[in-house]
Amino acid sequence: MLGEFINPYYLQVASFILINIILGLSIYVTLSSGQLSLGSAGFMGIGAYTSALLTINFDLPIIAGIIAGALVAGILGILIGIPSLRLQGVYLAIATLGFGEVIRVFFVNWESVTKGAVGISNIPHIGREIFRMLRDSGFDPGVLGLKNNQFVFLTVFILLLIVNIFVVWFLIRQNKSRVGRAFASIKMDEKAAEAMGINITYYKVLAFTQGAVLSGFAGALYAHVMAYISPADFAYHRAVEILIFAVFGGSEVIWGAIFGAAFMTTMPEVLRFISEYRYMIYGLVLIVMMAFRPQGIIDAQVLDWFKKRKLPKRRVDHGSSNQKHL
Amino acid sequence: MILEQLINGITLGSIYAIVALGFTLVFGVLGIINMAHGEIFMFGAFIGVIMTSTLGLPIWVAFLAAIIVTAILGYMLERFALRPLRGKQGVSHLAPLISTIGVSILLENVSHHLFGAGNHPFRNAFADISFQIGSITIYLVQILIFVISILLMMALSYWLSKTKAGKALRATAENLETASLLGVNTKKIIVLTVVIASAMGGIAGILVGMAFNSVNPQMGLSMGLKGLAIIILGGMGNVKGAMAGGLILGLSETLIVAYGDSGYRDAIAFIAIIIILMLRPQGLFGQKTTEAGR
Repeated sequence: MLGEFINPYYLQVASFILINIILGLSIYVTLSSGQLSLGSAGFMGIGAYTSALLTINFDLPIIAGIIAGALVAGILGILIGIPSLRLQGVYLAIATLGFGEVIRVFFVNWESVTKGAVGISNIPHIGREIFRMLRDSGFDPGVLGLKNNQFVFLTVFILLLIVNIFVVWFLIRQNKSRVGRAFASIKMDEKAAEAMGINITYYKVLAFTQGAVLSGFAGALYAHVMAYISPADFAYHRAVEILIFAVFGGSEVIWGAIFGAAFMTTMPEVLRFISEYRYMIYGLVLIVMMAFRPQGIIDAQVLDWFKKRKLPKRRVDHGSSNQKHL
Repeated sequence: MILEQLINGITLGSIYAIVALGFTLVFGVLGIINMAHGEIFMFGAFIGVIMTSTLGLPIWVAFLAAIIVTAILGYMLERFALRPLRGKQGVSHLAPLISTIGVSILLENVSHHLFGAGNHPFRNAFADISFQIGSITIYLVQILIFVISILLMMALSYWLSKTKAGKALRATAENLETASLLGVNTKKIIVLTVVIASAMGGIAGILVGMAFNSVNPQMGLSMGLKGLAIIILGGMGNVKGAMAGGLILGLSETLIVAYGDSGYRDAIAFIAIIIILMLRPQGLFGQKTTEAGR
């Protein structure tokens, strides 16, 4: 039966991979317009805390909490993004890093609301809430041959998978659109892009805000999957970890961030002895990648190579779609 | 009371200034923000702990050892994280930043494994010696820290403005290619800059150990981030700005702890950065250039 194949632990790891993919994509979007933001951990924290507090204190449904979390992060993204436009390169990186630290310090100190360094527990869990709803309407996971907790983790996984597919689809569509090409041209050369009539203010804030929304969204999901959050979850280390996803996997193509997030989340789980040295390895990865392959493992050439290998088999139906984005 | 707080603030501020000088030197010459500087500083502090508390050696040996170890770390940083990126085609200006973030994470966790996570006390013979002047208590340690910082800053200013190597360094900071054409060995100058900056970080580490009597692997991060705040406050690559910025931050932090909410102490630096970057991106003491903000 289905039940024998489903291990809650694997599903849990898979769910983390999916959340991390969204985080990796949030860095990717901002980088695709040539901006490096180290504030993703801060935005993630905003999303997580907003959603957790709204669902706990005001009994909002989880989905409303998550949307609110992403929106609040997005609004803060606009507020930070507009003045940050005057800053380029390293200055933006430092300002966003500073923003992340300020957010964390506020979470620690605003004890009446955030419970300080202890963190918030008993956040409604997405899977369990859905399970309770279904059970109330007379559904029994035994029909599928699943135990209760298997069903809970399976729902979380499927939900996150759907969300991920939607986000990736959206970003791929966007890359081929006017917006995506504007991002790419700004990344190549800002002055040239401006001379070509691209409104760089608008597109840079757009990219920055999209990154903030994605981070906040992932943070809100994280809160409802973990059911516990604390300020330490959104500290500098988290920002570096998210940066690693994009830098290691490849920051030029969507698949790079996805691969990076998946690989970097799986590695410490598969090789248990590694997890103790996890951050040391992260550090080495950053140094080595910058020295030898600054664009990351997967770049456009690697993708082309994959396509070429597939091409001879299905030349007919792939030929025309390949032409489009060359 | 206020006078005592001012003295505490100046002590703290002079340490901040030394940390910030390390950032400023590297940024001035290489145009790189060295995110690993805070961790090199933390290593210096740990060397101090090992020398004085564990081995029971006098404090000057600790200074010497910290300078040597951090200078070596600085050389390795330049050799393995910065040099491979230099002069390579198509490397974005973000690459050295990311690479030094890698070094910082690596060093922090190496020291976590070597020294353990907790706080290490920093014992020294004169920790409790203090003077009473009127109603004010001044500790000998505070005077020592202040004097060492001032001496260090004066030595650096003299070295930068009067010696041949200092002039070569400033020429390199001005324009690397032109300096190289005029016969400055820029490769050597770059190594020298990173090594000197790191050694200053090591000295600052021991000073912090003496001032707060506790050393832990996480202190590098918070100090590094504050150093960043200071150089933005004072203007990037501006030596005098770094000194002034350090004093301003040290004083405002002490005053906040004394008269406000101590929990927000670590946030001041960043709120200041964000405000400064918005209003005056070239920093308080920086000059506006066409490249400002780049």
